[in-house]
Amino acid sequence: MFKNISIFSRIIKNIDWIFWISLIFLTSIGFVAIYSASLNYDNPMKFITTQFAAFIIGLIGIIFLASFNYQYYKHFNSFIYALSCLLLISVLIFGTTVRATKGWFNFGFFSFQPVEVTKIMLILVLSAFLDNHWKDIKKLSILCKALCITGGHIFLIMLQPDFSSTLSYFPVTLILLYVTGAKLRHLLSIILYGSLAMGIPLFVTFFKLQPELLRSHKILNFFVNATTDFQSAVLILGSIIILVFLVKWFLNKLRIPVGFVYPIIFLSIIIAGAFSSVVVEKSLKDYQRKRLIVFLKPEVDSRGAGYNIIQSKIAIGSGKILGKGFFKGTQTQLGFLPEQRTDFIFSVVGEEGGYLLSQLTILFYFFFVWRALVIAQHARDRYGSLVATGIATMFAFYGIINIGMVMGLMPATGLPLLLLSYGGSSMFSSMIAIGILLSIHLRRFNQY
Amino acid sequence: MSWSNDDKSTYNSFMDKYKNLFILFVLLFLLLSLKLFYLQVIQGTFYRNVANHQRLNTTHERAYRGIVYDTNGKILVGNESNYVALFYPFEQQYLPSEGTVEQLNQILNRDIKPFIDKGWRYGRVVKIADSLTLDEVFKIQEKKLFLPGIMVVKEPKRQYFDSIENAHVTGYVGEVSADELETLETDGYKAGDYIGRGGIEQSYDKYLRGIDGGLDLEVNAKGQHQKAFSHRAPIIGNSVYLTIDTELQKVAYEALKNTTTSKGAAVVIDVRTGAVKALVSCPSYDTNKVFTNEYRKYLKDKKLPLFNRAIQALYPPGSIFKIITFIAAMEYLKLNPNHIEECTGKFELGDRVYACSSKAGHGKINLITAMTFSCNVYFYKLGLDLGIRVLGKYAKLFYLGEPTGIDIPAEKKGFVPTPEWKKAKMKMIWLKGDTVIFSIGQGALWVTPLQMAATMTAVANKGVYYKPYLVEKIIDVENNNTVYSHLPETKEKIIIADNVWEQLNTALINVVEEGTAKRTKFSTMKVAAKTGTAQNPHGEDHAWVVAYAPADNPQIALAVIVENGGSGGIISVPVAREILKKYFNIQEDDGNTVNQKVHKER
Repeated sequence: MFKNISIFSRIIKNIDWIFWISLIFLTSIGFVAIYSASLNYDNPMKFITTQFAAFIIGLIGIIFLASFNYQYYKHFNSFIYALSCLLLISVLIFGTTVRATKGWFNFGFFSFQPVEVTKIMLILVLSAFLDNHWKDIKKLSILCKALCITGGHIFLIMLQPDFSSTLSYFPVTLILLYVTGAKLRHLLSIILYGSLAMGIPLFVTFFKLQPELLRSHKILNFFVNATTDFQSAVLILGSIIILVFLVKWFLNKLRIPVGFVYPIIFLSIIIAGAFSSVVVEKSLKDYQRKRLIVFLKPEVDSRGAGYNIIQSKIAIGSGKILGKGFFKGTQTQLGFLPEQRTDFIFSVVGEEGGYLLSQLTILFYFFFVWRALVIAQHARDRYGSLVATGIATMFAFYGIINIGMVMGLMPATGLPLLLLSYGGSSMFSSMIAIGILLSIHLRRFNQY
Repeated sequence: MSWSNDDKSTYNSFMDKYKNLFILFVLLFLLLSLKLFYLQVIQGTFYRNVANHQRLNTTHERAYRGIVYDTNGKILVGNESNYVALFYPFEQQYLPSEGTVEQLNQILNRDIKPFIDKGWRYGRVVKIADSLTLDEVFKIQEKKLFLPGIMVVKEPKRQYFDSIENAHVTGYVGEVSADELETLETDGYKAGDYIGRGGIEQSYDKYLRGIDGGLDLEVNAKGQHQKAFSHRAPIIGNSVYLTIDTELQKVAYEALKNTTTSKGAAVVIDVRTGAVKALVSCPSYDTNKVFTNEYRKYLKDKKLPLFNRAIQALYPPGSIFKIITFIAAMEYLKLNPNHIEECTGKFELGDRVYACSSKAGHGKINLITAMTFSCNVYFYKLGLDLGIRVLGKYAKLFYLGEPTGIDIPAEKKGFVPTPEWKKAKMKMIWLKGDTVIFSIGQGALWVTPLQMAATMTAVANKGVYYKPYLVEKIIDVENNNTVYSHLPETKEKIIIADNVWEQLNTALINVVEEGTAKRTKFSTMKVAAKTGTAQNPHGEDHAWVVAYAPADNPQIALAVIVENGGSGGIISVPVAREILKKYFNIQEDDGNTVNQKVHKER
């Protein structure tokens, strides 16, 4: 039957149109927005050229990686992990420092951020590990090993330090564990631990920005003080312990059997989270902590940490339904919008393209993620499904975190909007990821 | 379709989780879309305004306020130009950088330390330097590139002439406060605008304030100007022509200042229209110095220079109220002016004794003589015969206890007591003794000097009471048309029999010719007047005089009070004489009148 159909028409038939249209739409919008954002301040052609070059190199990378059978990656698993760690270590030694982060290799005519590649290498490594051990994933030891693989990368990246680049690692790891079949309560424990460790220092920072609020609310003030005052900390932890055991006692009364192990595990997570929060607080600089939490109420620091978010919301909101027209956005062209080429590229789209175009951008971004998930669904083996899921998750969370940030829904992290934001490294790594996706897609049928 | 190396069930368990993951992504992207919809569609207009607000920098070119002229066309209030350096806040800065301030200090050779006050709001300009010379203005313009956000603007400054004498008429201007802005914003006032405070400046503010011009500039986040939109020239406010005669004003103020206490007020009204020719309160303040340290001195001064005694101070009228008692007696009791009563110098009522102005008594006198020498006993008796109801009715007939309606703010309306008021306020019934002192203008009867002058216009006009006013006309200089022109306005005519007015006129002329106001007697012109010495429980008596002249064909009425001055005949009458001399241009020597014996009245 296949013999009657030409190879060309077979390729046409197998092309995922939605995937490609979304990809082209997103990158084109990105080019226009980058051009618009640099129109009044720099040489716009310089940025467009760089971005376009990265795109073309990426396309070559796509063709190369798509034709390469992804199943081979599994066999070089240890090598890939070692290489990724080596890259992250060498950037700590040989890298150049940009904005207090030692995360770049500078080759003179272009510079390169290794973390952009290692995040994809990690997806490959973790997927391979989970593919090998999927039967034992409910065991704590395997779970811990998986977490250690991710943890190694995060540790090396935090040494740069580049907090925002580690952000995509968390959802990717959690979701890969989830789809492999990890126990839900293990995952919830990790989430609880993580949110305590991150949440406590951020909320303390947030409330310290509002001294009047603290003065009028004595209880709040007590909780905020507990982070520095040992006695009140002990008091709060003590009352949490009593509360947890009261709940256990109450559940037992209701004839719901709850063993002693669970409250103790629960409490140890809380205590571990509380202690880790001290480490997090120390490792994050004051301005970083402010930036991460100020999105809840940017007005409390409107000329400092909240400025970017306020200006970005003004830019997006002022675009209204139809937008101000390309190259006519006042927030963009007059420089009110910060980081408009990179992290806040979506605000440029929102201001100049209005609701119609920015909603369309979100829609196509979602289509893109959706098609990536479909690739995961159709993969010929578990490894392929896991890798595709990891890549889809990475794209999804970059988008959600970035677009959420520019609209004041999420913390101001320095995460770019993949495929749109200016940046050769991130464009190149997105294309690599797409190449791997296509490799999985092309080999979805056992026949090939 | 399933994985090649695994069984169906493991693939299916993967697919279940995959579905959950898909739903999670759908929800998260839906959340983003909802927020986007909220920001751009629901709040879009709000954010568009915010964006325009921070990109458009309107440089206001303040309009000159209208000029105020006196009745002879002399300028009372004008403008001068003042160059100021302003700072326009931009990006994350609300004050100029230290480098900029240093540069500015070098150029100007000053020691400026910019600060922002409590009421500052984002987007508001900050005044950096005031009163720049032209030389300094050019120097700043030259170095403009090194002074980001700094701009030199010409600002009009109000200039007052004969400022002390006219202070209570003109008032002054001050910046609109943040509280006032909340209610005034709809009338087009904006932060930093000037608004009249007291006097003409306040009551005619909407005519006097011009329309600000300006230039809309588009600025970028660094505060640099990108492009300019159309320029609107400012439009000067309307010119206001007053009824006030500055020369008369100066004479009255000088005369009041030279009295023993230097405290008092004088009001002169044209009886034919109600035009206020002079309105003076002494001591006064300098409207040009209101925003200097001098102002604190004014506030602390025990003589209360900021207090407009002419319209705000309440005094008992004392013996000048006898005019009303006189009218009431003749009109209501049909009293024959030749009716004789005996004055023994005191009047006994129950166990209380009320004294007369003359201790020895005036002997047997008729109504005219009683008025001439201000005999209290005669009027006590009239008061008792009339009763408080009738006396009160006549007081109100002359519009006491209600504002005259003059066109400057904060006028006090005075008070006419009633038995009901006394019962409610002091829980005591009205006694005959209260009526006795009421008949000579004492007790809880309170009037302003303006009210007394206005009452005299009614007496001079035989019952026609003109509403006093200060603004004759207002002219829009831009289009050269008259925006407002005053038409004389009367209150309801006071109906009194003609012979009563004639007898009163005779009596008041007698007061000047041979009675208590002899000091203002002129050989060329007959004056009608009544003096008063209002008892003051807190100190020296207040010296009153009210008058109109010429007595046969009245042109002006006046009221003068010297606070704590003592006897009206001795202290206030000379002030009235100075005013009359100036108004009627009388070159008469004062010598012959000063040495004449003046009867003491009470």
